Amino acid sequence: MTLIETSPYTNKIKNGSSHQERQEQQKQETLDFIPALHVKDVYKSFDYKISKNNGSSKITNYDHISSEQQQLLSNSTRSFRTSHEVLNGVDLKIREGEFVTIVGPSGCGKSTLLNIIAELDKPDSGSLLIRGTVNDINNALSTKRIMIFQESALFPWLNVQENVEFGLRIAKVHKERRRQIADKYIEMVGLSKFSESLVYQLSGGMKQRVAIARALAIEPEVLLMDEPFAALDVQTRDLLHEELVGIHKTTGKTILFVTHNINEAILLGDRVIVLSSVLKDIKKEFQIDIPRPRDPESPELYEIKKQVLREFEGDLQIAKRK
Amino acid sequence: MLKENDNDNSAATLATTSSGAGKRSSLRNEGRKKYRFDTTDVANVALFLAVFVGLWQLVTLLELWPKTLLPPPAQVAISISELITNNSLIIGIATSLWRLAAGFAISIAVGGVVGLAMVKFQGFGKTMSSFAVGLLTFPSIAWIPFSILLIGFNDFGILFVVVMASVFSVMISTYGAIRNVPLIYIRASKNMGAHGFALFRHVMIPAATPSLIGGIRQAWSFAWHALIGAEMLITTLSGLGYILAVGREFNDMSQIIAVMITIFAIGLLFDRIIFLRLEEKVRSRWGLNQHAE
Ligand SMILES: Nc1ncnc2c1ncn2[C@@H]1O[C@H](COP(=O)(O)OP(=O)(O)O)[C@@H](O)[C@H]1O
Ligand SMILES: [Mg+2]
Repeated sequence: MTLIETSPYTNKIKNGSSHQERQEQQKQETLDFIPALHVKDVYKSFDYKISKNNGSSKITNYDHISSEQQQLLSNSTRSFRTSHEVLNGVDLKIREGEFVTIVGPSGCGKSTLLNIIAELDKPDSGSLLIRGTVNDINNALSTKRIMIFQESALFPWLNVQENVEFGLRIAKVHKERRRQIADKYIEMVGLSKFSESLVYQLSGGMKQRVAIARALAIEPEVLLMDEPFAALDVQTRDLLHEELVGIHKTTGKTILFVTHNINEAILLGDRVIVLSSVLKDIKKEFQIDIPRPRDPESPELYEIKKQVLREFEGDLQIAKRK
Repeated sequence: MLKENDNDNSAATLATTSSGAGKRSSLRNEGRKKYRFDTTDVANVALFLAVFVGLWQLVTLLELWPKTLLPPPAQVAISISELITNNSLIIGIATSLWRLAAGFAISIAVGGVVGLAMVKFQGFGKTMSSFAVGLLTFPSIAWIPFSILLIGFNDFGILFVVVMASVFSVMISTYGAIRNVPLIYIRASKNMGAHGFALFRHVMIPAATPSLIGGIRQAWSFAWHALIGAEMLITTLSGLGYILAVGREFNDMSQIIAVMITIFAIGLLFDRIIFLRLEEKVRSRWGLNQHAE
């Protein structure tokens, strides 16, 4: 924290800087600040076991099998393994308190990246640096980076209060203290009246609010959000955007927010990272210096949206040609 | 009509959740509803019993069979009161229930542990589950000769049959219930720092509870069937099954019917009152029977 204050992040990335430019800039920045979180050179691929018996082939996952592999499959009678690369040397630095949104087409590896940061999955190579020190992967799972999933993942056997207290209960926090902390965050998401409610009694938006309170109660360093509002209706989503911006302001938490929705990404992020399924890496990033809450109709935002869309188009076309 | 109902429902949900006062009033509502439900239930059962006893009386009045072979309800009632006053029914019930409790406890402990081991060691799980499924359909009464020769005419012989009848059901349901815990709960709780025993105790077990209760309820009913059968055939001079067998020895039909009624009542009591209540409680907490009502 102090380190960052003494070395403010002055060297801002220009809008739409290219991949190479960005990397060069990052090298330079390394001297300037120590990031709260540094995803360093992460590679990740998934293995598939393909087996073929009696002419009917059983494939665990069709999407990523190239035509050569399919050819190979139709010629082979034994099972073989193939692997599908998802992240190819992703390098990402995040400042303390920064609100970063990651946007990319479905299947480009956003969740995979977030899972690696949450230590729910391991990278094939690369590392996670927390304030400049290598995170010990072999350590007990970290509660410093808490994930909020698209489905709320609330526990149906617990009520709202107990759900929010879950992490504290695991950490063996005393009952009174637990209640205090939970009350604080339940109030922050505006659900004080519902603290005794059961999960099935809540609407989708309320569930996500509880999930946010549950994450905040652990007092994590980074909030990881994996398309948390994707399943909500537009009005509820708008409301939750506002609330999340408010929460970011009051708590000053570092937030890493994944979405496939460009509007959402540019409405929320200090910085928008475009992830490409072709590069399997970060394609471009946009620094957005418009204060929040932002007007989604504003011409500045529209301009940025056009630029982000252009990145997407390229991605889709290359995907088609392939 | 349907729409109105929907509105009612949502209003009720809001009331349960909106405020303290609302909560209290809706609790009262719930209480009233339950009470009303119970009285109609009791009335239905009483009506059913009355019709049944009436028909029974009618058949005995027709004298299709001699009275000794098909005694009228009154005589069975006398038989029950005799069995109660000479304490044999109470002792029989106590003995049977004690055996049931012991056998069932062993089944839950062994079945639970093996079921968990099956989850932990996948290869073992696969083999064991097909083996256990086979034994699940194996008639428990067919264990009796084996048990008599191996263990003898004693309590342990009966316990063995009871355990064999129910342990595989517990095993299979533990295996299935734990394996089917949604991955999202496990990932979320691991991310929040749960691992090892805490993960098991605070996530796996509660998440598996709804399907576990179903399996345990089934295991209980298997154990109960096996117990009465074993008590009739593995003579130990005690238990409901033994009293039933004695009735058969002495051609005492009213004693036989008296014990049958007792067995029926105990089965109903446990299944409806204990297991069904438990299951309902869990299901309503999870919101699983929102549309069943
Ligand atoms: N556990 C897994 N096993 C195999 N393949 C996976 C696994 N998780 C993700 N993938 C594959 O990796 C790719 C990236 O997935 P994901 O990170 O979920 O994408 P996104 O969240 O951007 O939609 C997808 O093509 C997906 O099919
Ligand atoms: Mg995803």
